[in-house]
This record gives sequence, structure tokens and C-alpha cells, in this order.
Amino acid sequence: MAKTFLVGQDLHKSFNEHKAVNGVSFTIHKGEIFGLLGPNGAGKTTTIRMLSTVLQPDRGDVTIGGYSMRHNADAVRSLIGVCPQELALYADLSALDNLVFFGRMSGLSGKETRAQAMANLELMGLVERAKGKVDKFSGGMKRRINLAIALMGHPELLFLDEPTVGIDPQSRNNIYETIEGLRNKGMTILYTTHYMQEADRLCDRVAIMDGGQIIAMDTPYELKSQIGAPEQITLEDVFLKLTGRSLRD
Amino acid sequence: MNRPLIVALREVRTYLQDKADLAFSLLLPIAVFALMYGAFGGQSTFHGTAHVVNEDQGGTYSTLLLEQLDELENLDIELLSLPEADSKLERFNLLMILHIPKGFSNKLTTGEQAQLVFKQRGNGGEEGQIVASIIRGVAEEMNQELQVQSQVRNALAGGDISQDQLEITVHKFLDREQEHPTVEVEEKTVGTEIDPVTQFFPRIVTMFVLFAITLTARTVVEERKKGTLERLLTTQLSVGQLFVGKFLASISRGFVQTFILLALAYIVFQIFTPLSFAQSLVLALIFAAAASAVGLVIASVVRSEDSATWIAVFFTMATVMLGGTFFEITEGSVVATISKISINTYANDAFNMVIAQGGSLADIGLELAVLGGVAIAGLALSRILFKIAPGGR
Repeated sequence: MAKTFLVGQDLHKSFNEHKAVNGVSFTIHKGEIFGLLGPNGAGKTTTIRMLSTVLQPDRGDVTIGGYSMRHNADAVRSLIGVCPQELALYADLSALDNLVFFGRMSGLSGKETRAQAMANLELMGLVERAKGKVDKFSGGMKRRINLAIALMGHPELLFLDEPTVGIDPQSRNNIYETIEGLRNKGMTILYTTHYMQEADRLCDRVAIMDGGQIIAMDTPYELKSQIGAPEQITLEDVFLKLTGRSLRD
Repeated sequence: MNRPLIVALREVRTYLQDKADLAFSLLLPIAVFALMYGAFGGQSTFHGTAHVVNEDQGGTYSTLLLEQLDELENLDIELLSLPEADSKLERFNLLMILHIPKGFSNKLTTGEQAQLVFKQRGNGGEEGQIVASIIRGVAEEMNQELQVQSQVRNALAGGDISQDQLEITVHKFLDREQEHPTVEVEEKTVGTEIDPVTQFFPRIVTMFVLFAITLTARTVVEERKKGTLERLLTTQLSVGQLFVGKFLASISRGFVQTFILLALAYIVFQIFTPLSFAQSLVLALIFAAAASAVGLVIASVVRSEDSATWIAVFFTMATVMLGGTFFEITEGSVVATISKISINTYANDAFNMVIAQGGSLADIGLELAVLGGVAIAGLALSRILFKIAPGGR
């Protein structure tokens, strides 16, 4: 039986009168890629912000690697790496300097940081641009640096919040391959995306959120099976059936 | 190296790499200093130009008058033709001219009354009035000499006295009068002259350090806008370490700028001794820490760059006004009491003591304690406010 690495228990978060997350509970197993899907405003990003210790839930708790976020957030932070939806980079620094800086913030020593930064840049195909200023990079390169930073500090659990938004197929493919490589090395990943094909390809299990709640959670295959022959049904069909076709702005 | 230092180094490095930002912040003290030099560094005694229309060309007394005026160190003579002078007066290029009319010398030679005419626009301007006053003084001396000559000539009328002997006698009278004047004017110097540099420089330094408030107030918001704040909050960097890092970076920036200003003043105005310069640097460091801490307090609660800037600018202006930067605050007044809440008051007093009055750090213990206290309390308060502000941690 797979070992549980993350447990989210009855998570609630409101902003003024708006309930962004309303009783979300799920577990992620060690070495698993878990997809968190949902239309705009479903509560995915708020959930990730709570899981990554940025936001304190109004109710409920998160346990990662056996540490409670409420009682031992520092220990939780030592286990996680976060690749946020927006490009959280210092544009005026080089790619290498960005990685080194965040590596030091993640607790690595100076020597270790440099070695890991170069390894991550190699993983992302950016070694030649290590000393290039990030503000001169293309969107795809910035996305790859965004991911490379999340890998600094040897995290055991990686949060990837829409890591492939707005990039070319080559960069997207590089990110897919990197994620698959990380899974093969046993890393646990929580992945959010609007691209259902991407979730189908990468995720072992997915949870579909809407209105701040999880409305379905299973493997992509099982979810597809629930509405028809899995070979003829796409995850997008499942998604639209569960969340409806009305526009979400 | 611990994390606050790494954060501070990154910020300082970014500051040094941003050429526009760097140029602005390094050129600003130089520009401020240049303005100071322009205002206070030049000649402090009066120096003006007398614009003269001399229609008494070749006249003995007009020539004598111009020679005497030319001998004055604080006055230059510029000769103009009458149409030229009228034109310049008409076009406001000049506000006052001295007109020596035709026959000026002849009239004096024959004992008639002669006139010097000041033609001026309005009141002739400040420089014009001073120049006119100087010319009147010289003319008065000439007048006195001619009167004495006339009286001596009358007294000796009928005697066999040559013109040379007459002039020698007159000069003897005048020299004696100058050596033993009937009304003697004595000048007593009480203390040294107020030096505008030492008077205003401390205030300019403190105002300059206060820019750190605005820069620091924006720092957290800018990090939030870039998305890096949230990312940093998921690392092992604590909020306290982040704030200490930003605090150190802000002090460094403020200190570098102040160092340039103080060093320029040291070199150009020579208002420091090595000791007072070192003491001023220590004071600048502590005041930069206090200003940075105030900036961090603002940074911990604001949610946009605009609000950060406006709150910081308002606070800075209020602090500067209450600190007596632009006007003297009378001891014992209500404003003086209110001004005690301004960190600028303590910084101004301390810089004034070290720079203008030759005091030491021991003389400004209270001021240093207040500024140091504000730095520590501000840093702690900013951490607390960040925790209790909406979405804070």
C-alpha cells in the first residue's frame, strides 16, 4: 500500500463573505502526481496556498511528511518546493543567481546551492544561459526557471500551479519530461492545470474542484469510466460534465 | 552567512545593478551638494557691477570718480553709451545705471553744484541699491574733499599759495580727519559669523536620510507584486529574517548616499575634522536605521506601491516640517513640544551638535538613544503589523 505523504483535512478558507475553500479533504501518496483541476475560481490556488503554508486555513489542518502545518510549519516548509502560477523571479538577476538565492533561502549551504543550481539548470536545458539576466529570457525559459527554483533545496513534495501556462510546445514538452523524470525519482507532486490532456498524461490521480469543494477524485481512467468507455472519453469530457459548460470569469 | 544578510545583499546587488536607480541615488547627493555649494559656497561678501554712462568724457572729476570706484574690490565698472543704457533699462536687462552728465567736471571746477543721476527701474533691485550706496559714499568723499579745498582756498585767499601747496594742505586735513575722526565708528565682533553651511547642512543631511522611508516603504509591496514574497514565504526564510534583511539593505542604501553627501562636504567645505566626520557617519548610520524602520512599519501594512509612496511621502514631509528643517522652531512653543515626536528633531539636533557646535557622540546620547530605540521598536512593530494585517503571517 502506498505511503501517505500529504493529508488535507476539512480545509476551509473564506475571504470576507466569500467561501473560497469549503471543507476540502484529500490525501496524496508518496511518489504520486496528484492533479487538482477545476474551473476559474474553484479554489485550487487557495488550496495550494494553504498547503504550502502561505495561508492559514480558517479550519482544518494539513499534514505533510507527518508534520502538521498548524504546529510545525517550519518543518513542513523544509519538505516542499513551490512553483507558483505567476513568474516569481527576480528579473534583474541572472538565472543562476535566482536559483542560488532561493537555494540559500531553502536552507542549502553556499557550495551545495551552486552545485544544485547548475544541476537544475541542466535539467531545464538552460546551462548556457545560466549567467543571462532573466528579464531577457523568453516566456518559456522563464517558466522553466520558475520550475527550477521550486526544485532547489531537495523538496520531497512539489506544488506546481499551472506551470505550463502561455509557453511554446517545446518548453511545455521540456517541463513534461522534467516532471516525469521527477516522478521516476520518487518525488511527490501536486499539479494544477487547465489543460486536461496534460493532467491525463501526467497525473496518477486527479481531484476536480468546483465552488470550493472537491466534486470528484480518482484516477483519470476511473473518472472517464464513470461516464463511458475510457478509450473514447477524454478527461475534458469528464471535467465539463462535472463542472458544467457555463462560463466562469 | 545567514539569511537576512543574503536578503540584504541581494537587494543591495539589485540596487547596484540597476544603473538608472544607481545613477539617480548617487547623483542625487551630488546634485543636492551642488545646489548647496551654489547657495553657500560662493563669495559671501557683496560683489556688484556699476553700469555707468559717462557723458563727461575726459573730465577731471568724472575720471577721478571712476578711478576711485574702480579701486574698490567689490565693484566692477561697466561703461555704456546712453542709448545702450536706456535700451537695457527698457528691456529690464539692467535695473539701475549711474549717469554722469556733460559738464560734470567743469561745474565742479568752477564751484557750481554738479549732479550724478541714478536712472533705475522700480527700486533698482537689491544689487542696484547696494551699488548706488557705494557710489554715493565715494561721491560723498569727493564732495567732502572739494569742500575742504574750497574752504582752505577761501581762508588763504590773497596769500601767495600755489595750487600744489593748497592740495597738500587739504590732504593733510583730510588725512588727519581720517586718522582721528570726529565721530569714530568702532566694530566689535561678538563670536564668529553664522556659517550658512554649518547652519543648513545638518538639516539637508537629515532630510536626505529620510528618503530611505519612501524606498523602504515600497520594498515589501514590490516583492509581493513580483510574486517573490509568496515564494519566499514557502522557504525556510522566516518573516522576521526577511524584514531584518530588508532593514539592513535599506540602511546600506541610505548610508551610502549619506556618506557621499558628508564626504563631499568634508572635501569642499572642510566643515569636518576626521573625528567629527567619523562621528557624523555613526550618527548617519543610526538615523538611517531609524528611518528604515519607519519605512518598514509602513511596508508591513500597505498593499499597493501608490499607497506606500504616498504614506511615506506624507510622513517624511510631516517629519521634516516638525523637525525644523525649513524653519526655526522656538523653544518652549507648542510646535516645539509637538516636534518631539519627529525623529528629524533628534537627528537635526544631533547633527547640529556634531557638525556646527563641535560636540561629540557623548553629547548626543539622548538623541542616539531615541533614534536607536525607534529603529528597534520600528523593526519589531513592523513584524507584528505584518502578522496581524489581512493575509499576513
